[in-house]
This record gives sequence, structure tokens and C-alpha cells, in this order.
Amino acid sequence: MDTTVPQRFVVPIGPQHPALKEPGHFEFTVDGEQVTGASVRLGYAHRGIEKATEGRNWVQNLYLLERICGICSHVHATAYCLGVEKLAGVTPPPRAQAIRVLVAELERIHSHLLWLGVAAHEAGFDTLFMYSWRDRETVMDILEALTGNRVNYSANLLGGVKFDLTSELTDKIYKGLELLEERTYQYVDVVTSDATLLQRTRGVGVTTREQAEQLGLVGPTARASGVERDIRVEAPYAAYPDFPVKVVTATAGDLEARFVVRLQELFEAYRLIRAVLEKLPPGELQARMPRKIKPAETVSRVEAPRGELFYFIKSNGTDQPERIKVRTPTLCNLASVCVLAVGSQLADVPMILAGVDPCFSCNDRMVTVYSGDTDHTQWTWKQLRQYGIDYYRR
Amino acid sequence: MDTQEALKSAEALLTGYASTRSEENRLDGTLAPENLCAVVSNLVAARWGYLMAITGLDQVTLGQLEILYHFGAGAAILTLRIPLPRIPIPSVDSICPIIPYANVYERELGEMFGVEFRNSPNTDRLFLPDDWRSAVYPLRKDAVLNEE
Amino acid sequence: MTWQHVVDDIRTWARVNSPWVVHFNTGSCNGCDIEILAILTPRYDAERFGVKLEGSPRHADVLICTGPVTRQARDRLLRVYEQMPEPKFVIAVGSCAISGGVFQGCYNVIGHIDEVIPVDVYIPGCPPRPEAILDGVVKLLGHLKNPVLEETIQEAG
Repeated sequence: MDTTVPQRFVVPIGPQHPALKEPGHFEFTVDGEQVTGASVRLGYAHRGIEKATEGRNWVQNLYLLERICGICSHVHATAYCLGVEKLAGVTPPPRAQAIRVLVAELERIHSHLLWLGVAAHEAGFDTLFMYSWRDRETVMDILEALTGNRVNYSANLLGGVKFDLTSELTDKIYKGLELLEERTYQYVDVVTSDATLLQRTRGVGVTTREQAEQLGLVGPTARASGVERDIRVEAPYAAYPDFPVKVVTATAGDLEARFVVRLQELFEAYRLIRAVLEKLPPGELQARMPRKIKPAETVSRVEAPRGELFYFIKSNGTDQPERIKVRTPTLCNLASVCVLAVGSQLADVPMILAGVDPCFSCNDRMVTVYSGDTDHTQWTWKQLRQYGIDYYRR
Repeated sequence: MDTQEALKSAEALLTGYASTRSEENRLDGTLAPENLCAVVSNLVAARWGYLMAITGLDQVTLGQLEILYHFGAGAAILTLRIPLPRIPIPSVDSICPIIPYANVYERELGEMFGVEFRNSPNTDRLFLPDDWRSAVYPLRKDAVLNEE
Repeated sequence: MTWQHVVDDIRTWARVNSPWVVHFNTGSCNGCDIEILAILTPRYDAERFGVKLEGSPRHADVLICTGPVTRQARDRLLRVYEQMPEPKFVIAVGSCAISGGVFQGCYNVIGHIDEVIPVDVYIPGCPPRPEAILDGVVKLLGHLKNPVLEETIQEAG
């Protein structure tokens, strides 16, 4: 055997996964500890929802689309409702819009805390996982008291929302936010000062601003690289024009920056929820919706916890949609994993993967990503080698 | 950039092609397939927004399959519409040489609608199962999905 | 008491007090998965029953499945199931795992869990509350301790 040729070894991971709770199959080609190629095969959770929407009516689709993803169910429903309302020319009452924002921000808190736990778990920091999930129960309790379910809240209706806020609920939310805010300060402290965690996050998986733009990253992943991209600010929807959002960005682009950006977004979410509660407009909860919608098409974009969520909705004059296209944020971000994984150490790969907060259920409804060292990553072997050398020299 | 300004500059970039304002914040441009790459290059060179998604629309009655490239800059949305004949195989140039990450969107479309992307760096099967029957494109309106 | 009896009792005791669980998502929306993860965390703390989430199916006693079975996940589900050592038990969590739920009839969904592998415990809900999942696990453990109850559980499930 020719010993001068480096032996390439493929490490398959998944679809049944020790770390992530969702199915995705990864193949990492390694040279020693260093990853030289990466590919992803998804589609294990592909159910064919887009086709299914064409056979159901507008109201039934609301419940189907809400179940694209259990973590960010409310944003899917919101994007769909806003789109359909635009098509039908119906303006939902301001109180309903404010409640949509309220639930969306509560969902962002739950999603970011969930992510914090999962990412800490990937780093082997299970204590942080347990702490953050314990505190996450606070927001789950609020969501349950508000909507009646912990996951898949079904808060949205076409033309409005389903439930109202009572003073009792408002008190509960204020109390919960107080506790969460106090805890979040501690989390920020932990992720920026814990030496062990920093070894796994600082300088790992660095995405520069140029890379982030070139890879088309969205959401907190892009904002951690300094790209100010947030649909809540760029194209405010629902009640966001009345409750402006401050974009949180960082410049480092490494995993630590992604931790910090997501945690800082929590503070922003607390502030927004308080603002909504203080200035909740009075009035109706639902506007009347027609059963059939005239032929038209629209684009609806909302900011999910993971980034920009894109809906294209086309109606054809019946009570069923002609076409609904969903593009989820994970799709934009996942391609970056393969690029970032190449050249890093195998042990860092789970962290890099967790860093984009992937959500395969969202993603697989439509698409999978494949990327290896031969295709669109555009890295030649020489560049790749140089990247690896620089990595270890630093 | 202001939404209306963004749309105006997009209109300027689309001079020579049919374009309409379909909604307040949207501009639709209809192109022939051979002009797509030139227009996309112009958009990228002018740093006008980013590619948000590529949608396929199967219009059986018109006998055509339309591909929609959605670009977003702030609240402004530019949609490039490429009508293609449904039969035999709709085919268009890949925009991957200009926008590398478009590959995943194109492959999704290729699999779901049976669109051929010329010069695409990668046209492998993406998310349909390994044992999926070839030449069955599930999102086409006339797709026969039941094997039995 | 025969020697065999003693060995069986010890085996059952060990099995009931420390069931290792492996989790596989066969196409779920994630809702059930995050609730399963939630039962491991301090509020619900499944570890008081000795439940431990295990990464490898080769070390696990119980397979928790969520979601309708997609065409692509079917073979993988079978393979995960076959890799588990005997005796093995399957818990189907959520409406989709039981009946296909809202995804019934989607072209890439071939059905529910028990069309592919035998299921011991069904936990309904969209998603079920963590308490319900815990209850299902405890019922399974009770059934292991006392197999006479088997029929009642299946009827109740």
C-alpha cells in the first residue's frame, strides 16, 4: 500500500442521531481528526406538505401548515394567515395583530432557550442544558395558559386570533418575564466567561460577513456575522410597525457570537412583550374572512426564530389554494454547515451544526441539501489545505 | 434603501423587458429563458438584494410551467418570471455560476417539477426518497402519485 | 423457587429499574420530540424512573418513535429496530405516530408506526404533554413488572 497517499475515511452520522433529535444523514470525510469533505442527505422527514395544501381548503391548511414544525409553529401560521388575508383584502383588527406579535415573541424565547440547551448539550455542557430547559418551562407555562397547548398553539385564525388576554394572564406573563430576564443575565455571563465552553465556541466555525452574504445566511446566524437582516425591521408585518425592533448583531461570526446574539435577542423579546402588554389596543379579535378567494398571488415574509421564513401563496378563485411555496430559514443556513465543517476538527462538527439551529422538519417538507468538496463550495484542494494549515497555526 | 426607491432601481435594471407592479411592494418581470442569466448578473453586479427563493408554478391550462425567481431588498420584492413549455422537458440555464447557493433551490425544482437546469454543478436527487420512481414530479398538477 | 426463577426476577428488576431509551424521528414535526426531550429535564425528570436517553440503538431497551413514517425513513426505522437487542419495546408518541395525523395521504408518507414495526404503547396527543409521555413510560414499566396486565394496557391504549 502506498503510504504517502493520505487515507480518507468517511464517518457517517445519522439519520438516527445521538445528539440532534431530528433525522438527517451526514457523511464527513476525515483525514485524521480534520474534516476534508462534508455532505448531507436529508428528506427523512419529507412528507410532501406543499402538495397536500393543494387538496385542502384555506382553513384546513392553517392546521396543516402549523404542523410543518413544532418549534416554530406560530410563525408558519402567521406567515400563512398574513398572506391569505392580503389576498382576500381583509385587515385583521389591531388587537389581533398585537397578540400575534406577543405569541411570536414568546415563541422566540422558547425557541432560543431550547437552542441554548441543545447547543450546550452538543458541547458536552449538560448542566447548562438542564438549567435552560428548566427555565424554558416558565415560558411554556405562559404559552399554555395563554393558548391551551404547550406546542402547536393554534393561536392564529384566518382574519385574527383565537383568544384574548385577561389581567390574570398579563400578571402571569410579567412575573414569568422577570424570572427569565434574571436568568438570561446569568446565561450571558456563562457563555462569555466559562473557560471550558469558550474553548468549544470562541473562534470555532467563523463565518465572515462576506461569507455570510455569499452563502445567503439568514436570521441570528447571519446577524452574528454582522449582516443586519431582520424581516421585523426591513418589512415590518403584523403589529411590528407599532412596536419597533432593535436588531442585535455581532461581528465575530463564531459560535460564541451566535450564542450572544441569540441571548441578546431574548432581552429584546422581553422588552417587546412588555411594550405589547402596556399598549395592547382594544377591540375585536377577528375579522370576517370570505370562504373563496379571488385569483391572485402574494409573497408573505416573517422573521422566524431561525431567520427569514418565505411563503408564496397563489389563489385561483376557489376555496383551495393553487400553490403554496414555503422556504424555511434552515435551508439557507444548512448549506453553510458543509462549508464551515470542511477544515475543522471532527469534534467541532456537532457544534457547528448546532450553531445554525437547524430544523429538519421545517426543511424536509421540501428540500434537502447536498454539498461536498467537489461542488458549489468552490474550494479547491489547495485552498482547503491552506485553510487547515492556518487553522492549526493560529 | 426605501422600498419605492428599490423598486425604481429594479425597474431601471429591467429596462427592455416587460415589467409590472403586481403589488405595492412587488415588481414582476417576465423574461425569456435566454435572458435570465444576463438579468441576474446585472442584479448581482448592482448588489440589488438577495435571492430569496425559486418557486415553480404548473399551469396546465396554459400548457406552461412558470419559474419564479424571488429577489428581496428590504421590503421590496422583485420576481423574475420565466414561462417555459411543459412538454417535453422545460429547460433553463442554471444561475449557480452567478449565485452559488441557488443550487439547492434549483435542485428542488428539478425534482419537484422536472425542470432541467443547464450547466448546473449538481443535479442529484435531493429530498425525494432513494426509491422514488423516475420521471414522476410530485408537484406537477397531473402527477400520478399512487403506485397502486 | 427455582434457580431460573431467581435469574428471571433479577433480570426483570434490572430491566424495570433502568430502561434505556433510544429516540427516532420518522418524519415528525418536532413538536413531540421537544416534549420527549422535556421529560428528561428537571421539571419532569424521567431519570427518577431510571430512564436514560441513549444514543445507540444497540444499547437500548425502548424505542420511542414520533411522527408518521416517511418513505425515506421506513428502512432506517426497521434497521434501528433490528439493531436493538431483545427484548425490545416500542412507544409511539403523538397522533401522527398512531394514525398518520394531519399528514395522512401525503405522497411521501407511507403510514403510521405500527404498519412497520410492532408497537407496545400508544401515547395520543398533538403533541402529548410530557406528563402523558411519562405516564406511557411508567405503564410500560408496570407491564414489564407484571405481564398479566398486558391485555388491559393494550385495551386502554
